[in-house]
Amino acid sequence: MLQKVKDRVGESIGCCGLLQGKLREYKVPKGVNILYTLGIVTLIAYMVQAVSGYFLLIYYIPHPDHAFKSIQEIMNVVPFGWLLRMMHIVISNLMVVIILLHLVSIFVMLAYKKPKELTWVAGVCLLFITLIFCLSGYLLPWSQRSLWATTIVTNIPTAFPIIGDNIANVLRGGENVSGITLSRFFALHVAFLPPIFLSIVGFHVFLVKQMGLSSPPFNAQGETAAEGYPFYPYFLLKQVFMIMVFFSVVFFMITFMQPFFIQEAANTPADPFKTPVHIKPEWYFLAPYQMFKIIPNKFFGVSLQILLAAVFLLWPFFETKEGKNIFKRPWLFAFFILVLAAWLALTVWGKYS
Amino acid sequence: MKYFLLPLIIIFALASSANAGYREAFEKEFLYKSWGGEELEVNACIECHSSNIMKPEFQDIPNQWKMSWHYQNSVMCHDCHGGDYKDATMSMSHQRGFVGTPKPADTPQFCGKCHIGILRNYLESGHGKSLQSTGKGPNCVTCHGSHNIQKASIEIINEGRCTKCHSYERAQIMKQALFATENKMKEIESQLANLKAKGMYVGAENRELFSTQAEFHALFHTIDADLVKQRTDEFMRRLNAIDAKIKESLDEIHFRKNFSTFLMLLFIGLGVVVGLLSKTYKD
Repeated sequence: MLQKVKDRVGESIGCCGLLQGKLREYKVPKGVNILYTLGIVTLIAYMVQAVSGYFLLIYYIPHPDHAFKSIQEIMNVVPFGWLLRMMHIVISNLMVVIILLHLVSIFVMLAYKKPKELTWVAGVCLLFITLIFCLSGYLLPWSQRSLWATTIVTNIPTAFPIIGDNIANVLRGGENVSGITLSRFFALHVAFLPPIFLSIVGFHVFLVKQMGLSSPPFNAQGETAAEGYPFYPYFLLKQVFMIMVFFSVVFFMITFMQPFFIQEAANTPADPFKTPVHIKPEWYFLAPYQMFKIIPNKFFGVSLQILLAAVFLLWPFFETKEGKNIFKRPWLFAFFILVLAAWLALTVWGKYS
Repeated sequence: MKYFLLPLIIIFALASSANAGYREAFEKEFLYKSWGGEELEVNACIECHSSNIMKPEFQDIPNQWKMSWHYQNSVMCHDCHGGDYKDATMSMSHQRGFVGTPKPADTPQFCGKCHIGILRNYLESGHGKSLQSTGKGPNCVTCHGSHNIQKASIEIINEGRCTKCHSYERAQIMKQALFATENKMKEIESQLANLKAKGMYVGAENRELFSTQAEFHALFHTIDADLVKQRTDEFMRRLNAIDAKIKESLDEIHFRKNFSTFLMLLFIGLGVVVGLLSKTYKD
């Protein structure tokens, strides 16, 4: 039955030749698992963000007097505006999760090793840009939560002696978070970041296409890509399956976890004269936030984080030993577990501190 | 690489030690610096009243105020008492608008600077007339207190408080007249809080409730039970209108849940189809 449907659809669209010619020729290594599909899921997530963002742009007004109200109109007046906004919010969080999972899987499979160092660097850059996307988008609703979370984050550069205040003032467009900050973050979110993100995605995909997918390191057979399965239908269907799983998770979260994404302070208009008692950054910034809190010297705290981010970005150039199985590298494996545990511990600590 | 890392660590270590600070200062100046809350940090009134130079009976005033409804709504010392909270030496200068503590007969005007509608109703009431004619009637602080002022509720009318000056009968009639409307307002307040917790914005409904509550509580200050009963229908109509909007919002939440559940099931179904389709291909 399924075969008949498939054949009928193939004939109608007339794409069999294309599939036969290109997608079947491109081979993926045997034993590729769902972790290999996280890249395409990230790309689909970004596309949904772009489309939902365009619709939100129609109604959103980037001005302190209107921003909060326009968001409420999107949520309560615009037909299905709530769905587009909730998708935008939920997917922004999931994008961070997926990119992190993607990087973790690449790390565990040691797939960043020569000649794929630049693919890793591009991937980490995409994570950083996604975080800047989240940060800049966070201020746009002009709620208490967004105003004060941005206040905390834009205070971070003041840790640097001499130039720190200037950096913070350039970010905010003044001494404090104001309408000018809103305009700047809005422009960053909708005009500056998307082309940068897409360029790096293009570069990343180009590198993946050029070098092919890495063979799974734990596969005893150890075939090369040339001996593997055709991309279509074997790998493409795996990707489509994961995209369906991704959307199922998105709608599960919209249905059952809405209060997690829109908390009370996110539903209260921004008031620069009223500091909320407990304001904390989003979950993905909790670890750096907690690190700032436990390191008494703020300059050292910021510098350490920049250093850690630089090491993360350039990791393939630091770790150049041969070998593709992390389980045969106990020190590296222990280091990975330690970093992961520290990040999780700081996140939980930040949440409940 | 070590030639690169070592100087970097040395530079950070030197700069960090040059920039050393204490954790308390770090948290105050860096993570929690807030321009709106700055008033609390440099408030001469609070600093002085919390210190030992103040008479013991006045030292607890800042703590009482911090537990009050005024504090929750950012009403500061100088909003009522005037003066300059930023300048300790001039904080109690009359040139800077300091009015200090009012005499009992002046208290209604003192509070009425902000609570205009209530002042008008109070002055027309038996309480107000008595204070104006004899200087001895109950004023605002008699019922509401002075610094630990709580959100007004029907509980303020109680036998203990009212019988300090007169019998409880009339007050009880008034309390009964207020009872249903007050309960309805409480119920709506909790429903709005529930909606907000579910991610719905209820700003317009909250404002409507606030204005209804304010008018209703202002009306009470006439201490005219007949007038309260006459206008109860009008207040109930306004509250019912808010109630209807709450029900609409609850229906909307219900629809949204159903719709996103449908989409979730749709994608789960598509996932199953794609999963089965992939099984039809053999190695």
